[in-house]
Amino acid sequence: MKTPMIARPRLSLGGELSYLGMLAPLLIFVAAIAVYPLLFSFGISLFKYRLTDPNQTKTFIGLANYLRAFSDPVVITSLKATILFVVGTVTTEIVLGLGLAMLLVAETRLMQIIRSFLLIPMALPSLVVGLVWKSLYNADFGIIPYYLKLLGISAGHGPLGEISTAMPAVILVDVWQWTPLLMVIFLAGLKSLPIEPYEAARVDGASRWQSFVFITLPLLKPTFLIALLLRTMQSFKVFDIIYATTAGGPGTATSVLNYHIYTVGMVFFDMGYAASLANILLAVVAVLSILYVMVLERQQA
Amino acid sequence: MRSKTLKTIFQLLLMLTIVLLTVQCAGTPTPAPPTQPPAATQPPQAATQPPTAATAPPATQAPAATAEKPYAGVELTLASMTDQYVTAFRYLIPIFEEQTGVKITMDELGYVDLYQKLTADFVGHTANYDLMTVDIVWSGEYAKNKYTLPLDDFMERDKAELGLDDILPVAWTLGEWEGKHWAYPLAGYANVLNYRKDVLAEHNIQPPKTTKELLDVAKALTDATNNFYGIALLGAKGPAVAQDFMAWAQQHGSTMLDENGKIKVNTPENVAVLEFMGELIKYAPPGTTDYWWDQRETAFRSGSVAMMEGWSIARAGYEDPKISNVVGKVDITVAPVAEGMEPRYGFGGWGIGINADSDPKKQEAAWLFIKWLSTPEIQKEWIRHDGAPIRRSTLEDPELVAEYPWFPILLESFIKGDGDYRPRIPEYSILQDALGSYVNAYLVGEMGAQAALDAAQKQIEENIR
Repeated sequence: MKTPMIARPRLSLGGELSYLGMLAPLLIFVAAIAVYPLLFSFGISLFKYRLTDPNQTKTFIGLANYLRAFSDPVVITSLKATILFVVGTVTTEIVLGLGLAMLLVAETRLMQIIRSFLLIPMALPSLVVGLVWKSLYNADFGIIPYYLKLLGISAGHGPLGEISTAMPAVILVDVWQWTPLLMVIFLAGLKSLPIEPYEAARVDGASRWQSFVFITLPLLKPTFLIALLLRTMQSFKVFDIIYATTAGGPGTATSVLNYHIYTVGMVFFDMGYAASLANILLAVVAVLSILYVMVLERQQA
Repeated sequence: MRSKTLKTIFQLLLMLTIVLLTVQCAGTPTPAPPTQPPAATQPPQAATQPPTAATAPPATQAPAATAEKPYAGVELTLASMTDQYVTAFRYLIPIFEEQTGVKITMDELGYVDLYQKLTADFVGHTANYDLMTVDIVWSGEYAKNKYTLPLDDFMERDKAELGLDDILPVAWTLGEWEGKHWAYPLAGYANVLNYRKDVLAEHNIQPPKTTKELLDVAKALTDATNNFYGIALLGAKGPAVAQDFMAWAQQHGSTMLDENGKIKVNTPENVAVLEFMGELIKYAPPGTTDYWWDQRETAFRSGSVAMMEGWSIARAGYEDPKISNVVGKVDITVAPVAEGMEPRYGFGGWGIGINADSDPKKQEAAWLFIKWLSTPEIQKEWIRHDGAPIRRSTLEDPELVAEYPWFPILLESFIKGDGDYRPRIPEYSILQDALGSYVNAYLVGEMGAQAALDAAQKQIEENIR
């Protein structure tokens, strides 16, 4: 990666200051809306702090909230559900997104129209998507169980009502909504690929499948990194789709970690414990992201 | 190469943003369906609201307070649950504004939103809402935290004009806690059994009087091949299934509290109730484990179930052909109780409270509104616009009884009403959440009845600590 040589102005002290001055609004903004809340949430996670406590006492209890999290059976089940959800959504979306991108990469008018149509799900608020799918899935009035019955498949309590199918059903909603994003990312990646390796491969007599596996996939690695990072982080934090469709049910089948945090924070108003759970979620996502970057960067080298 | 990828990605994302904006501007075609119980039955707010806007004087030239209108110009905010009675508020508020010069702005909120917004308002002492509808089960929590103003001084001062004796004793559970009144009775609901009189007559079956009969009738009327079921229940995870469970427990004479008033859900009696629910749900539509209040109502109104227990306030809606397929085919009776049990009927509903943090002048104006609303004449209008009764005289009013022939059943349910079957304790939300998860887990077959209630008890104890 070569940057064109542009004469860079030498920084005097005044110059540095004016740089800072120009950056200041952004820095203040980020500090106010990201850094401060983060520190604040870490702060209250060390306290026993329940908003609905009439005396509003805040007792310092050190790391007790974090220790409680690791012995909380709901946290364990919700972590399992979260991982299931993340793996299910991210892999399906990457495979489908890449497939769609390969299909629609051609720059014809038809493809352009199809592509913009496929973007519509992303434009809808997740809550609306969740509610629409909830009615589609409804065992008594929904279209999906109706056709399943016509095909002779028993829908039981409906896709969202059965423990075995609830998770796949919410994963499907997420896949429906977010595959287009991955399609866009992969389209961008595909369009930026150099043409030469393909020409060389064709001369060498490689099949299309071989050039896909040995040229396209390796060259797309940076794109995979972006796609994986983006969707893993989003999937870990999923809340709205679960809230709108199953509320974590049936039983605890789709009770993801973020939904549990919501319950602790906004139903029990146990802010200290909720903050500690949120920080754990943050740590998990951060560690995973760093791992992704490290693995893919190493392969890059 | 990478910088090229990034550049293209940015370009595409930019394009995407433009597409998104265009789509959003064009108006997302799908309106959010209501997640809360009966919102679907209400006409759009905009259609009924204009009178408020039209009659209200602009804030700048608010009329000065006069002798007849001492609170003219005071502006109040009301947070109301989107239950049926919100239509009555929409109708009555402009009349009150006309008469007193007080201006009331109403925010209509779903159950979960209402609870959360109010809690945030109280905890932060922001006094965004001067008046609020208070669910019967919040009484203990509101009292313990002194969120709302105790109304006892007002009531003592104005007792001559309040007609307190006329308000049914059970209605006071809408806001009373340990001898003080933290909310004033607003809308009383009785848990009643709705049934399809045509279907029962066709099978020559009498409406069930005991829970055992109810189960037998539900079984006999279920015809799954034709998609007709005996009964609709609330099965969805969350408040819905929790409240249904507590209702069935009440009808079996069991309770969520031990003799010391501590929460104890995993008693043998409650396990038996849960197993009864597990039996009953076999004769409910397959989607029942997904039902909130609104889906249960839809099931009954669409005519696909023979029976449904529910709050009496929904009764009038079954006679409205716009939302009901079962006009003229429905009757109600008191909720069945376990054999040999002294009949007691589930009572619920809403009180109306005044924010303890509000300005004293606003509190006075708010009390004026509450007082006005509870007068017998206004109560009649309240009922006719989908409100719910709190006074004996309303339920016995010959004119109203002619319009609402089921009022005697309601009166009977109210007289033997039990407002405490959902314990109105400060820890109610914790109890409800635990039952909401684990009763549902049992109904979908994830856990056994004993295990589910044990797990619920464990979760409650952990969260109360």
